[in-house]
Amino acid sequence: MTMRGITDLLLGLLPIVLIILLWQALISFGYAPPSLLPPPGQVFARIGEQLLDPSFQQNIAATLFRLFAGFAIAVVLGVSIGIAAAVSPAVNAAVRPLVRVLAPLPKVALYPAFLLLLGFGHESKVILVVADALFPILLSTYYGASVVEQKLIWSALAAGTPPRQLLWKVVLPAAMPSILTGCRIGLVISCIVVFLAEMITSTDGLGHVLVAAARQFQAVDMFVPLITISLLGLILNGLLGFLRSYLLRGFPEV
Amino acid sequence: MKAALARLAPVLACLGLLLAWQLGSLALANDSIPTAWESLRAIPAILTDKESLLNIADSLRRMAIGLVFAVGVSIPLGLLMGRSRAVAAFFNPLLMIIYPVPKAALMPVIMLWLGVGDLSKTLVIFLGVSLPVIFHSFEGAKAVEEKMLWSGAAMGMSAAARLVRIVLPAALPEILTGCRTGLVLALITMVTSEMIARQSGAGNILFNALDMGQYDTVFAMIIIVGAMGICFDVAFEAGRARLVRWSEPQFDIPLSFS
Amino acid sequence: MNVMPVRSDNRAEPAPTVRPKPIISIEHVSQRFQTKARRDHLALSDISLDIEERAFVSILGPSGCGKSTLLYIVGGFVNPTEGAATMKGRPIKGPGPERGPVFQEFALFPWKTVLGNVMYGPRQQGVKTGEAEAQAHALIEMVGLKGFENFYPKELSGGMKQRVALARTLAYHPEVLLMDEPFGALDAHTRTRLQNDLLNIWERDRKTVLFVTHSVEEAVFLSDKVVMMTRAPGRIRQVIDIDLPRPRRRDELLLDPRYQKYIVDIERMFDDSGDVELPS
Repeated sequence: MTMRGITDLLLGLLPIVLIILLWQALISFGYAPPSLLPPPGQVFARIGEQLLDPSFQQNIAATLFRLFAGFAIAVVLGVSIGIAAAVSPAVNAAVRPLVRVLAPLPKVALYPAFLLLLGFGHESKVILVVADALFPILLSTYYGASVVEQKLIWSALAAGTPPRQLLWKVVLPAAMPSILTGCRIGLVISCIVVFLAEMITSTDGLGHVLVAAARQFQAVDMFVPLITISLLGLILNGLLGFLRSYLLRGFPEV
Repeated sequence: MKAALARLAPVLACLGLLLAWQLGSLALANDSIPTAWESLRAIPAILTDKESLLNIADSLRRMAIGLVFAVGVSIPLGLLMGRSRAVAAFFNPLLMIIYPVPKAALMPVIMLWLGVGDLSKTLVIFLGVSLPVIFHSFEGAKAVEEKMLWSGAAMGMSAAARLVRIVLPAALPEILTGCRTGLVLALITMVTSEMIARQSGAGNILFNALDMGQYDTVFAMIIIVGAMGICFDVAFEAGRARLVRWSEPQFDIPLSFS
Repeated sequence: MNVMPVRSDNRAEPAPTVRPKPIISIEHVSQRFQTKARRDHLALSDISLDIEERAFVSILGPSGCGKSTLLYIVGGFVNPTEGAATMKGRPIKGPGPERGPVFQEFALFPWKTVLGNVMYGPRQQGVKTGEAEAQAHALIEMVGLKGFENFYPKELSGGMKQRVALARTLAYHPEVLLMDEPFGALDAHTRTRLQNDLLNIWERDRKTVLFVTHSVEEAVFLSDKVVMMTRAPGRIRQVIDIDLPRPRRRDELLLDPRYQKYIVDIERMFDDSGDVELPS
């Protein structure tokens, strides 16, 4: 790692370290009662404990399942509709006004409707995740597909590519950078939405753990799911980053 | 003719959706899913009910305050991060950790500390809006051409003056994109924080009605909140277009076909 | 004001009695565009031209004269608003491997390596992977990029990218090469090297080449025939036969008075608007 890289890393860890120190100081010096603000040591210990506890693991599994299911559906739908809208004027005309109307809507307002339609289980949450993650992916795909260099398509056609294969062989790969940017945003949104949905109504999942702990006024147990979702988000984002580096290894740095 | 049709398209889309809803609910014949017509009819009842109006006004007030403070803090911070590598390195990892945590999820913790009142909800909105605005201000400031700043320095402008008079206007298109995201998030955070910490507000009305089985009110509120979202977006876009008429069309992380 | 294309040779000798049949025929082609300002732009006006097989033909003209458009019409990427282009008697309806393009912007597939790019055409035509790979390796070596097979386009210089583009097109054995100012994005030194390399490669099997350029010197150096076009709306001003022996060597030609005369004559034929690039 370069000298600059090391300085950056240290500089970046600094605020986190400072906050933890501040956190500990507030308790040690009595500014905050431990019932409201448990000390960092206690919180991290509890996290370690919970991660080994099967019922907590089940909650993580439930959250992850909904997250992945929702995200995956959003990716499949978003990419296919986005590409279709970019290459077909008919699809474009149909999709465009719908997106203009639906995109600015806070989808979480639809959550009660999903609950009524699909019950209080996994489905309503997965659908909410799809509804929220879909649009950034769709729009990024549409954008990426619509600015594919004309000459790339012409080169492929001249090389003998049948026109209907162009979507798969040229448009999709060329739009990949844009698509992956949209996926990144979609992933973060998925994390956020699934957690929120579980907080509002659920019987399991990380969001539910938070609300349950709040009802019992267990401050320590409230921090655990929050930190967990943050870590999950970081890990997933990191994984997506690796995937992106691999898939886009030929593309010039944007 | 074609242009007129294009402009009407979103309205047609709305009507189409409502129609689909109407038909769908009739087909489902489920008591808990009212038809579009029934829901629309419930709207005036809400809008004329004093209690509801107060709730909605509270919501909007909290949203506005949270937004203003967030923007006021985030834009300078983002600009600074964009121009100073040290500042960026300092804040970046911290922000990356906070990013995936839904700010509305902090509600219970914040409520524990600050009680159930306005402050917690406004704080959460503040946090929710800050991140995208910081990020976009950061990106916008980073992208400002060095040569513009050199010209400014040659003219004798101080670092602070350059930040305000060169970086800020040049980064404005990107900043406004961030504000647009922030606006969307403000509305979402507002509604969700109210769904979680029920005490007042639009989210509160929604879930109260759900608990009491007043399903047409539920859907009516959904329409109202949805309409608010669309109106804010349209209004913001109009304002943004005016402010940055000079810039190239923005397409970064698009939020909508504009 | 219609300028009739002059198809006669520059020489005083009588034309040979047996002319090779034209492989490409362009008949009364016109091209009209709708610009954003909703105005009609006539890019090409009544172009008629025959391209003979195995000829290296340059289309020379100022910027905006529609020469690229003409190339795209022959390539089948653009359909003419009037008139038609035919190849071997059959109308050109769309792009195909018989007419291989090489673009100024290179248009390489960024997600594929050099090898992947060059193998693309043959794979499309159903050639098995092993065979296609072997052919690609040979071509890559021929254009002088041996050792770079696994590089991505982003890692290559402009000149190298254009070599890959050429190899990619040659890989699917087109009968006609359509080159759209291929060296326009390169610096002068790389340009001259690639011009030489192009001629060397072309000498091997002498495909028909249609070469668009705005450089008089490039046109004269490379071609058998130079088709001079006017500014928009583009018409053919004159067709000039370049009667210089092959293989052509730049250092010899630069001192050859016939070469110099061609350049001077052609430049004189363009008005002094400065649109056409003068040799430095």
